[in-house]
Amino acid sequence: MKKIALLLAFFAIGLNVLLAQTKEITGIVTSTEDGGTMPGVSISVKGTSLGTITDMNGRFVLKVPADAKTLLFSFVGMASQEVVIGNQSVINIQLKAEDISVDEVVVVGYGVQKKREVTGAISQVKGDAIANLATPSFESQLAGRSAGVQITAANGVLGEAPRIRIRGVGSISQGTYPLVVVDGMPVFTGDVGGYASTNAMGDINPADIESVEILKDGSATAIYGSRAANGVILITTKKGSKGKFSVTYNNYLGIASPVNLFDLLETPDFVTISNEKRSNRGQAAIAVGTDVNTDWQAAVLRQNAFQQDHNLGISGANEMTNYYFSLGYTTQEGVSRPNEMNRYTFRSNIDQKLYKWLSIGLNSAITRSEYFGLNTGSNSLSGNIFSAIRMLPNTSVFDANDPTGYNIDDVNTNYSGRGQNLQQVDDNLPNIRYTLDKNVYSSKTMGVIASTYLMVNITPDLNFRTQLGVDTKGTEGFRYWNPFHGDGQSVNGRINNNYSNLTRWNWQNVLTYTKTFAENHNINVNLVNEFQQQNVNSFYGAGTNMSDSFFSHNLIDGSYGTQISGGSKSQNGFNSLAGRINYNYAQKYFFQASVRRDGISSLPKDNRYGIFPGVSVGWTISRESFMSDLTFISDLKLRASYAEVGNVDIGNYPYLGLYSNAKYADYNGIAFSQIGNDQLKWETSQKTDIGLDASFVDSKYKFSFDYFINNQDGLILAAPTPPSFGIPGNSIAKNIGKLKNWGYEFTFDLALISKKDLKLSVDGNLSLVKNEIQELVNHQDIIQTYTIIREGESIRTLFGYDYQGVNMSNGNPIYRKADGTLVQGNIPTSNYKVYNPENPTDISVASTLVSADRKLLGTSIPTYFGSVGLKAEYKGIDLNVMFRYSGGNYVMNRTRMDLLNQKFQNNGTEILGRWQSVDNPGDGWTPRLWYAGDTFVNFTDNTSTRWVEKGDYVKLQTVTLGYTLPASLLKRMGIQNLRIFAQGQDLLMFTDYTGIDPEMENGGVDFNGTPRQSVVTFGINLKL
Amino acid sequence: MKNIFKVYQKILHRGIVPVLVIAMTFTSCEKNIDLEPFNQVSETAAFQTAPLIALTVSGMYEAAQIGYYANPVDPAYRGFPFGSAFVQQGDNRGEDVVNVATFYQLTYTATYSTTSANNVNYWKDSYRLINRCNIVIDGVRKAATDNVISAALAEEYEGEARLLRAMTYHELLQHFARPYKDTPSASHMGVPYHEKPFTTQAAIEEGFATGRSTVAEVYAKIIADLDFAEAKLPLKATRTGNQKLTRATKGAAIAEKTRIYLHMWDMDKVITEGTKFTSGSLAGTYALTAEPSGPFASPYSNTESIFGMENSATVNPGVNAALASQYGRRQLVCMSPILWRNPSWLVDDKRRADGAMTFKVSNVIFTNKYKDQTNYTDPSPMLRYAEVILNMAEAYARKGDVTNGLTYLNMIRNRALAAPATQAYTAASFKDNVELLGAILVERRIEFAMEGRRWPDIHRLQKCPYFPINGIPAKLANGMPAGSAFTLGTPYTGALGTVAIPYSDYRFVWPIPQDEINSNPTLAAQQNTGW
Repeated sequence: MKKIALLLAFFAIGLNVLLAQTKEITGIVTSTEDGGTMPGVSISVKGTSLGTITDMNGRFVLKVPADAKTLLFSFVGMASQEVVIGNQSVINIQLKAEDISVDEVVVVGYGVQKKREVTGAISQVKGDAIANLATPSFESQLAGRSAGVQITAANGVLGEAPRIRIRGVGSISQGTYPLVVVDGMPVFTGDVGGYASTNAMGDINPADIESVEILKDGSATAIYGSRAANGVILITTKKGSKGKFSVTYNNYLGIASPVNLFDLLETPDFVTISNEKRSNRGQAAIAVGTDVNTDWQAAVLRQNAFQQDHNLGISGANEMTNYYFSLGYTTQEGVSRPNEMNRYTFRSNIDQKLYKWLSIGLNSAITRSEYFGLNTGSNSLSGNIFSAIRMLPNTSVFDANDPTGYNIDDVNTNYSGRGQNLQQVDDNLPNIRYTLDKNVYSSKTMGVIASTYLMVNITPDLNFRTQLGVDTKGTEGFRYWNPFHGDGQSVNGRINNNYSNLTRWNWQNVLTYTKTFAENHNINVNLVNEFQQQNVNSFYGAGTNMSDSFFSHNLIDGSYGTQISGGSKSQNGFNSLAGRINYNYAQKYFFQASVRRDGISSLPKDNRYGIFPGVSVGWTISRESFMSDLTFISDLKLRASYAEVGNVDIGNYPYLGLYSNAKYADYNGIAFSQIGNDQLKWETSQKTDIGLDASFVDSKYKFSFDYFINNQDGLILAAPTPPSFGIPGNSIAKNIGKLKNWGYEFTFDLALISKKDLKLSVDGNLSLVKNEIQELVNHQDIIQTYTIIREGESIRTLFGYDYQGVNMSNGNPIYRKADGTLVQGNIPTSNYKVYNPENPTDISVASTLVSADRKLLGTSIPTYFGSVGLKAEYKGIDLNVMFRYSGGNYVMNRTRMDLLNQKFQNNGTEILGRWQSVDNPGDGWTPRLWYAGDTFVNFTDNTSTRWVEKGDYVKLQTVTLGYTLPASLLKRMGIQNLRIFAQGQDLLMFTDYTGIDPEMENGGVDFNGTPRQSVVTFGINLKL
Repeated sequence: MKNIFKVYQKILHRGIVPVLVIAMTFTSCEKNIDLEPFNQVSETAAFQTAPLIALTVSGMYEAAQIGYYANPVDPAYRGFPFGSAFVQQGDNRGEDVVNVATFYQLTYTATYSTTSANNVNYWKDSYRLINRCNIVIDGVRKAATDNVISAALAEEYEGEARLLRAMTYHELLQHFARPYKDTPSASHMGVPYHEKPFTTQAAIEEGFATGRSTVAEVYAKIIADLDFAEAKLPLKATRTGNQKLTRATKGAAIAEKTRIYLHMWDMDKVITEGTKFTSGSLAGTYALTAEPSGPFASPYSNTESIFGMENSATVNPGVNAALASQYGRRQLVCMSPILWRNPSWLVDDKRRADGAMTFKVSNVIFTNKYKDQTNYTDPSPMLRYAEVILNMAEAYARKGDVTNGLTYLNMIRNRALAAPATQAYTAASFKDNVELLGAILVERRIEFAMEGRRWPDIHRLQKCPYFPINGIPAKLANGMPAGSAFTLGTPYTGALGTVAIPYSDYRFVWPIPQDEINSNPTLAAQQNTGW
């Protein structure tokens, strides 16, 4: 019976087959993007398992039942399309790239989120915005690109990390650098060793970056808990591009030069000024000789620093595999001799689906970076700028008669040659060009950032991902000081090799649950646990008293008299558990909460664990029915968030009482080096944010606003202890200190014209940020050389004396004391006398000018900053202009003080305005010259209003002009896209600041920094 | 039913990975964050074993040898207070050198302030050393009680600490307080005196109660320390190698006492202590070298040097402070024509010897006492026997004992004379003991030229009944003098571009550093007048 039934069944099936009418459908699938054919597109008959995929030429042949109604075309990254078959037997269709603009995503901690569901404050910068810019490291190009984020490069030295402030200054004495996460892996930042400045961020090839997300407020950062106080920067690298496989090649070639130069005295004025310094003091003239007029700045700085960059990328994707490979090469000369960087990068990102439920992937980047640095010490005799502004212009750089070829003094070979002058340059300055040419400072880093993951879709809603990442950097440093002249002469040559190894392991496990209940209740839950351990060790070998400068390329056995070596090792780690829940009702009401528990090795046992909660809400008002009539409003969302996060950039063992090695001569010893504090706790930051996002007229006009308050509490301060207690460093690490940053951020992006051939948009942002110190140890000021940290004031407010100009009757500098009276510094006797405006020649009444007479001279932190940009496209031509502005701060122009030194050294032209006599009183601001009278005439090492200037500026940060060749032309050559461009960075600056650039300040002080660079480049973007 | 089971099975399969992973994570939890430093020793261990105690005692000297120049970015070795700074500050506060560059300009021209680096670091590094001494004293006493080391060894270590502590307080007094004679019983403000270690939060709280002791009180403590050190420290002979001269000895303690009593104007005690060198506990231990250059020619093995900080090629005050760097190779400070042309300093005196004692650049005279211009290994000359002898000479002269005074003076002077037979002082050379005293005081300037002894003399002689100095003498202008200014034959009468500062002027004493004023309310109320 069974057999019969079976037979019948077979028969029936066979009959069915025979009876079923079929027809054949053919066609070609192309892409709307470039019109290219698309292989691998799957085509199925809707509602059946019948289907096929397109061949290499995008063609398909499919037999379908006669009653088949609809074909379904689908491909990763493209919008699926349904086509009604009807009578057609040829169906050619074009697939469109999936329209993700509606559902654009941003990367958030341990996941991604749809942009319109975000309730925190996150700025996104797309990789292509910064990809083609000539830059030593990508993050300096983030400057101006998002509200609330200020990035300043204080000088033009390649390899020095720029300063990043996300919503103000987050700590007083601990780290203020944000956490940087590359593809989920928290990476090293800052200097990674060697003898030239290095910047870990420079290892990241800007061309590999898909997007950069800057997490600014509490709720966005809370998932990073203890590491989030200074904000978080997430970097996502590129994946295989959707569509078919592509090859890209991008390059640029450019020239960099200093943004500005100093106005130094030339020989004739130099001789006059130098001898006037002397004669005012009754000393004989020493400046003699006007045959030579040397521009020493030109000897130090390059006007034509060559920079080039090449990138080759290969990427593609299909249903199962997604790959991206790239090779990058850049070489850049810095504006100061002999500064240079070379970088070679290789990246491979692969994602592979093994089964429907299991996928694996590996992101890895290998970078070789080489930096050649120099002595930039702002107070070093061989510091490039320190020296360039001081070298005597009536002496030459080179001297063919000297065995070295350089102009070196005949009396003492450690001085730069004095020429005809009767005395050598003061402070025994060596010939700066010799030291720059001969001495070597280098750092060569081999870095690997790699992470591998395994992802399991346990159920369609429940996903588990485990990721193991490593960031390791091996840096080889080398330094050589020539024995004959300059820094090395003191020890008859010095040679150093060092090696440092930084390794960080990170393991994170993320469980994600996503579900929609009852249509409108959307829920997303993340559970995270994370471990990290980091080891840093280094060692060095050095030799002095070199046998010969021949052995100057590495430590060579037996080539030096004194052998020196050393090393160190440190370790830290943390363990974390975190959870986050996102809920929204109908994309209208949003709620997010997260909590993280971090354990860190850097704190005492009892305080090792900290809990960091965050919560935020959002309301998309535009989705309310009462708004439905206001069709010009595309989107309107209100956000609010609060979180408590921490700062763990506090060193490795700040709580322990320690004894360090302390050798007495060659006898081993140890000595008290750190006072312990077993009560030490986390630094916490309470972040509150209220924001509004709005867009109008089909999202053409977008606006965004945020108000934030960051209250940093329990700041770990190096609480000053009285020096008479003799405690190491005269401080103890204590959780005392409160700091508040608050402000407003405005962003706009207006698509003014969006026609096919003409597009024009304007965007920009403005941030208003304030900073206030709220509590210090025992409410005591922390006074630094030029600045003060005082309760109620902005951090590092300039602090010093109130300069009033020159006594026109005798050339003495006048200051206003705290009690309002005026004193003049009587130059000949170096003491203070009352200045009576009624009787200015009277110098009979003694007075003083003491530290109590100092007052606040202005905040050193910009109170406003931002940018305005313009983008235009006309046919194939694109233009992109960005202005960046900043201000509200004051800068102590310490360089200017150096330019007005009273020594036998060169000066800036400002000195020409000095007081000479009652009849020739000068500019009223520059006192009488007095040889070697710097400490009194200029009141060195003190701030005074004589040197304090406003730091406001507007800069033309970038201007790019590109031309994309017509597709019709390129198609014949088999090229998908070809664009040529010219670009300028930092070309123009508008400021009243008298120094090189007001951005060149560190802690409010501009002190002999290397000028920033302006760069002009030309390049191409090619896609095959 | 079957289907449901399959789903569970599927979930189970797929769930194994996460379950395994999570299980693994919990095995490695606490270990990951329970870490100890590799580079440093925990304070709880420092006094637990004899070797670590020996290291800690050695580390105390490090603070004496190479104090830091506190630059917020990169603290650098600078030889505060005893590695070199006492020489440079002691010379540049006086008129017998010329600061030719910027380096010591603030000190030289008395334009220092509460924040200028040299005076600030002198204070900070001296107290850093004092705290290390106090840590050692406290630590070795406990270690002896706990039988980690013997009581005798603990006392010897304590003696070393107390010698260094005494010398350091004396340095502080000479710069931050007015001299002993300022008030009749030295009841004016000295410096804050701490003898307990600051290693805990509690100690910090307690420390705020301490204000400035009087000068007399600090001197009494200094003497107590030195008496203890004298009793417990070994003789030079029991030490080995360079340490005979570079580690605390009984000789150093006694020599220091002759100096201290001179500053305390207690001439009898100067003689009592000095006599220990000739006929007391130190008899035969020290002797003048045959040549005045002896202590500098072989600075680690000679009969005259008593105590100094050892400097090695790898650990020394560095290019910006080492004596051979600053005074030698870099030529930052030259001898002043004021001293060089002093008529009491005979033209053919061996202490002028080009090469052995001085060198010339364009006729400008520099000292050659510090010779290792490459590796900076010269020790600092903290105490040498010649000073004990001149201290004795002065004490005898002040007491009216011309015979002994002359004998001791000639011990120093005669060895430097080209022809002692004809050039030596005789009893007939001086009208009275006061004239003799004058010659002794000049002799000190010549003998200790560029050894940092000028400021201590200026300081203590402020109210000298016979040869009072008023404040800081006038000096040549800061800057390189002309070579012609060094031509011998007449006293220097050229311009003095750096004017004198009277004793009454507030600049005579250094101010308490601003950092101290900011962080210590007690001392904020006790700043030196005028600052």
